[in-house]
Amino acid sequence: MWNPYQELPSGTRRGLGIGSVSLVLVIWAVLSGLSLVAKAKLPAPWECIDAFIQLAWDVEKGESLLWLATKASVMRVLVAGVVVCLIGIPVGILMGASPKVNSALSPLVDPFRSAPIVAIQPVMVMWFGIDELSKILFLFLGAVVYLIPMVRDAMQAVPRTYYISARDLGASPWEAIRHAVIPMAMPRIADGVIVSISVMWTYITVAEYVNAKVGLGQLIANSKRFSSMPKVFVGIFVIVALALITYAGMTWLKKKLFPWEAT
Amino acid sequence: MSVSVELKGIGQSYPPPEEGGEMVEVVRDVNLTLGPGINMLLGPSGCGKSTLLKLMGGVRPYNVTSPTAGEILINEEPCTGPHDDAVMVFQTYANRPDLSVRDNVALPFRFGLWKKRVPQAEQDQRVNEMLESVGLAEKAELVPAQLSGGQNQRVALARALVLRPRILLMDEPFGALDAQTREEMQHLLIKLYKQQPCLVVFVTHDVTEALLLGDRVLVLSTRPATIADDFEISEPRPRSQTWSRSTEATKMKERVLNQLHESSTGKGSVRVSI
Ligand SMILES: Nc1ncnc2c1ncn2[C@@H]1O[C@H](COP(=O)(O)OP(=O)(O)O)[C@@H](O)[C@H]1O
Ligand SMILES: [Mg+2]
Repeated sequence: MWNPYQELPSGTRRGLGIGSVSLVLVIWAVLSGLSLVAKAKLPAPWECIDAFIQLAWDVEKGESLLWLATKASVMRVLVAGVVVCLIGIPVGILMGASPKVNSALSPLVDPFRSAPIVAIQPVMVMWFGIDELSKILFLFLGAVVYLIPMVRDAMQAVPRTYYISARDLGASPWEAIRHAVIPMAMPRIADGVIVSISVMWTYITVAEYVNAKVGLGQLIANSKRFSSMPKVFVGIFVIVALALITYAGMTWLKKKLFPWEAT
Repeated sequence: MSVSVELKGIGQSYPPPEEGGEMVEVVRDVNLTLGPGINMLLGPSGCGKSTLLKLMGGVRPYNVTSPTAGEILINEEPCTGPHDDAVMVFQTYANRPDLSVRDNVALPFRFGLWKKRVPQAEQDQRVNEMLESVGLAEKAELVPAQLSGGQNQRVALARALVLRPRILLMDEPFGALDAQTREEMQHLLIKLYKQQPCLVVFVTHDVTEALLLGDRVLVLSTRPATIADDFEISEPRPRSQTWSRSTEATKMKERVLNQLHESSTGKGSVRVSI
């Protein structure tokens, strides 16, 4: 019987998840192992593991390329993420608190959510050069256009009674926003932060495509240039893993900070 | 203590629910002078009770000029916006879920207005007294999610009374509570009122509640709302079962019910609970 609200036992849940992943791995192994798909297009899982080990520790150079790349990419996402929050949250709060600010800024922000941010990257390079600055700016731009509208919507979703009640208790308009609306909007603002930081991981390859000395995106681009498909796959997997870890970590943090949100 | 709320020829129209319709006249020419005591405001739902209450509290809607006609005097002075003397309690308690019961009650003291007026030591003392009065002293460190609906409403009530308002405006405050909790809250209100007498305006659509609590009962007619009935109850509180069943009380109840049925003409609904 189909029941959309069924609570699955954790064994069943895990079993189904592991099952589907294993199935894909088996299909992958068969397709590549029996050379049903050309090796140059689809490396075998064990080749990827080999590539992973090689990248994780280069015996000749005595260094871990993968670790260096990961560190560089994580730093970029981290720096851009902090800037995104420092700018996106206050701007979103202002837009949510003031219809005038919202009317003025939303035509500048909202369209970018569906704009081809990736196509803007060459422009960024032209304007801000090929160094760190343009990479961070690109990540920032890609993420902040998600965060700002989400913060604004979070503010507007707070029931008006909270504002009215605070004003009635003697709060100035700003005090009512500060002590009644913003605290209520915090969980949804946190959702916005989670989404926009996650989005950055999807942009990291584009950001690092031009003139990155080191980074996961650069690792993928270089590997592709040298037709090393296994390394490309490793790069992709590592980015996915980092994105998942970031997501899980931030979701955990959100639950810790706002345990009351579920009500 | 002299405190008064005066409505002079108050009228209120709202924009129509759909685009292009005519303005809806919700309240027409209400003249009313309220003094200290518990004033019960009754009327079918949608007749404009909240509208009137908000006007008295200085809460104005954003979408329309308010009031459309007339003026409000609080302590004989015109009132056009938020007023320090008047505090409202809503049916949805509007408690902060992230703050403890104590911090919720103390919330107004975070606002510049009260921070300046009430010294820190007195703030703490008032909060403690209020927590004691509403019976939440032991739950002071819990958060709203750990409380029942009635307890949450106690928090909201304490937060209002901690400011010692001369005017307390309550908009169907116990409407969302179950019958037994509502009864407890009614007794609590009677107790608190004795400790801290003021001018209370209490909106309800429950006739029994009106007769149990009110010094004065005002009944509104609907669309546009005018004062259809206005009488006083001299029976001291708390009012006994015996009084509730007396001919005096029964007659009052019938009088109100008839008025409500007459004026609601099927538009509103009246809850009768005994
Ligand atoms: N700000 C507003 N804008 C438009 N219509 C409103 C507004 N406030 C109330 N109304 C309408 O006025 C009528 C009376 O509302 P209200 O005063 O809340 O009634 P009550 O509290 O008696 O149920 C309702 O039909 C409501 O939809
Ligand atoms: Mg109402």
